[in-house]
Amino acid sequence: MGKYLIRRLLQVIPVLFIISFVVFCLVFVAGDPVALMLPEDASQEDIELLRESLGLNEPFHIQYFTYMLGLVQLDFGDSFRYNQSALPIVLERLPATLELAIAAMIIAIVIAIPFGIWSATKKNSPVDFLATGGAVLWKAMPNFWLGIMLILLFSVTLGWFPVSGRGDLSHLVLPAITLGTGIAAEMTRLIRSSMLEILNQDYIRTAKSKGIRNFFVINKHAFRNALIPVVTITALQTSTLVGGTLVTETVFSWPGLGQLLIQAVNTRDMAIVQASVFVIAFIVILMNLIADILYKILDPRIKY
Amino acid sequence: MNRKSLLGIFLFVFSAILLVGCSGGTTTDESTDSKTTDSEQKGTDTKADGEVDRTLTVAVGSDMVSFDIHNHNNTSTEAIHVNMFNYLFKKDANGEIYPELVEEYNTIDDLTIEMKLKEGVTFHNGDPLTSEDVKYTLERVATDDTLREYPNYKQIKEVQVIDELTFRVVTHAPEPSLLHRLSRLGSGILPKNYIEENGFDHFLSNPVGTGPYQFKEWVRDDRITLVPYDNYFEGKVEEWDEVVFRVIPENSTRVSELLTGGVDIAVNIPPADWDRVNSNEGTSIVQEISNRVIMLIVRSTEGLPTADVRVRQALDYAIDDGTLANVVLKGGAVPTTTMVGPGNFGHNPDLYETYNYDVEKAKALLEEAGYADGFEITLQAPRGRYLQDAEVAEMIAGMLAAINVKVNVEFLEWSNFVEMRNANENKELYLLGLGNSMFDGAYSVDWYRAERMAGHTDYKNDRIEELLAASASNMNPEEREKQIQEISAIAAEEAPFIKLYQEKINIGVSDKIDFVPTSDEMINAKNIKRK
Repeated sequence: MGKYLIRRLLQVIPVLFIISFVVFCLVFVAGDPVALMLPEDASQEDIELLRESLGLNEPFHIQYFTYMLGLVQLDFGDSFRYNQSALPIVLERLPATLELAIAAMIIAIVIAIPFGIWSATKKNSPVDFLATGGAVLWKAMPNFWLGIMLILLFSVTLGWFPVSGRGDLSHLVLPAITLGTGIAAEMTRLIRSSMLEILNQDYIRTAKSKGIRNFFVINKHAFRNALIPVVTITALQTSTLVGGTLVTETVFSWPGLGQLLIQAVNTRDMAIVQASVFVIAFIVILMNLIADILYKILDPRIKY
Repeated sequence: MNRKSLLGIFLFVFSAILLVGCSGGTTTDESTDSKTTDSEQKGTDTKADGEVDRTLTVAVGSDMVSFDIHNHNNTSTEAIHVNMFNYLFKKDANGEIYPELVEEYNTIDDLTIEMKLKEGVTFHNGDPLTSEDVKYTLERVATDDTLREYPNYKQIKEVQVIDELTFRVVTHAPEPSLLHRLSRLGSGILPKNYIEENGFDHFLSNPVGTGPYQFKEWVRDDRITLVPYDNYFEGKVEEWDEVVFRVIPENSTRVSELLTGGVDIAVNIPPADWDRVNSNEGTSIVQEISNRVIMLIVRSTEGLPTADVRVRQALDYAIDDGTLANVVLKGGAVPTTTMVGPGNFGHNPDLYETYNYDVEKAKALLEEAGYADGFEITLQAPRGRYLQDAEVAEMIAGMLAAINVKVNVEFLEWSNFVEMRNANENKELYLLGLGNSMFDGAYSVDWYRAERMAGHTDYKNDRIEELLAASASNMNPEEREKQIQEISAIAAEEAPFIKLYQEKINIGVSDKIDFVPTSDEMINAKNIKRK
């Protein structure tokens, strides 16, 4: 296990390098940020001057070399927008995004596990119909629409929660519900199908025939075996959440990574884009690693 | 044994998750309560009683860029900075320039102005304001070509310090709009000693200026908090204990915050939400003309139908600017035929609040130009950059169809739009909004200069060239004003650009405060009062 961990962690390095190269190329191809930085009435001369002073008229390989030189020292260069080093700006946003992602995940798990099990054990019953139908409906609702509706209902009409911003726990509720319920919808269906498959296995029948109470059969024998795909999707969703809370963060003006990234893309703030993608990639790799370790705990037959 | 312990771990993890989940559920309710108590105790955001509320909260659409006043070029950032920094000069609501930090000033010759600073002005760290600070500030922005404001200040050659409060600003060439430059973004005065002692990075995270409010906190993409400066040279501003600028990018969220009393002012409210704000008790929309004119930039390149002045005029006459301003923008704009709006130096009132619209005349002009059967052109437009821009572009296509001109509307994402312009890939028409932070018409009419627009519009008028050259260094304001007015009149006639309307700024305001917006779009907290 120890060797496996070290090997996995070492794999992170080439992956990050490949990702940084791809991001660099994409940003390079996307075009020149200088024109966007100056006002509409800037002259061609002003544009050239600024381009030169930012080193953006250098050829690709020189720019890439400068970039890589900084990267190995974890220096992504200065943000064009903020005129400050990019990585600290990105890391500053991380707690807000993690806070929202974790809260959303908790909501998703709390909803999905009981509903998934319930609808699997009562297959084709009204409960099953409601849970699966509800999941489809919920998944079909776009995040921004749900977010705006929740604000209108719970903040504007009922006045229960603050409309936007980050502050105490009450600020977290609506954005976490917006994100969490969407994931819950997906997880409910996954848990249901995974449980259904396992409930038809011989060992479940054996357990039942031994006279073990249904509650234990489901929760002890079946659920644990159904968890492996759930762990996979939880890990994947958590990494998506870190980079993908973009829309929800904007609707609720939540000062996280998603909002920063979308602005950086719009203004072609290369350093911020590169640093953000780097950080997100790192988290995705980390989450996958955690998922792999969890598999082993859940299923001792898995050997690394 | 092993399996059992693993099962134990699993059950522990599962129950922990459940427990956290449940406690998450309970906190939901608790936090609702705690929010109510919090607001009641502080008497801030929800302000049910209204008497203890001494925090002004303003919702802005994008975060401040930086505290480097020379390096952002961003009006909404300046709107916050004006509370912390003073300029040497300032413009009043009518665009008249008056001295702010300057006590008196004299023109020595065409290249030199001598100025004396007001006494008793101090920075937020206690240092007095001196000529050395002015020299440091202006020479920084006039010489460092990496700064975004450099193009607007490179005309300054040097600042000569005469004594502690007196200094001379020397320009490379006669500079008729020097005072316009010194009364805008980028001319706020920086504390030389503070920056030299602590470094610029320290200044960026702990900025000090001479303004009525000083820096307290900046949480990026969330809020900027300012508090009154006790020793402000015009006296401490008592109206607000705290001014908070909250960053809320989503329009509907900004509106909801205003409706629920979360903020007192919300900027940039789109027309679709005006009714919601106005019909809500305690909030309303206030409007003021902005300094941004929306127009169609026409390509007059040889070989295109639009090279013919009659065709350009026909397009102008076929577009009903009144409908665009009053229907599409719901009254959020004023039709105009000039780029130089009121409050700008060189404004020509005859060309403002008016527009050319006569479909029959447009048809006749096209016939005369030999295009009775019409032709096909492309209109490029951004989407979401200006108020209702996409709707306006589509409406124009519809209006031009009435004179047999088939318009293909091509929408471009903003960065592609900017690239298209820079690469001179513009087609016959494109929709553009132009502001003028200098409030000097010379900057607007410079867009007609043939050399500048070569390859872009290819428009050239000899009389305009003559007037532009003469006005560039004309130190006689009356003459210069007439020259700019004449250029505007020629351009209104020849339509190298088809001016549509001047946008209004639309701000949602709580009835509990007294706020009058200004066309420079600044949010000056010291001018905002509680009712």
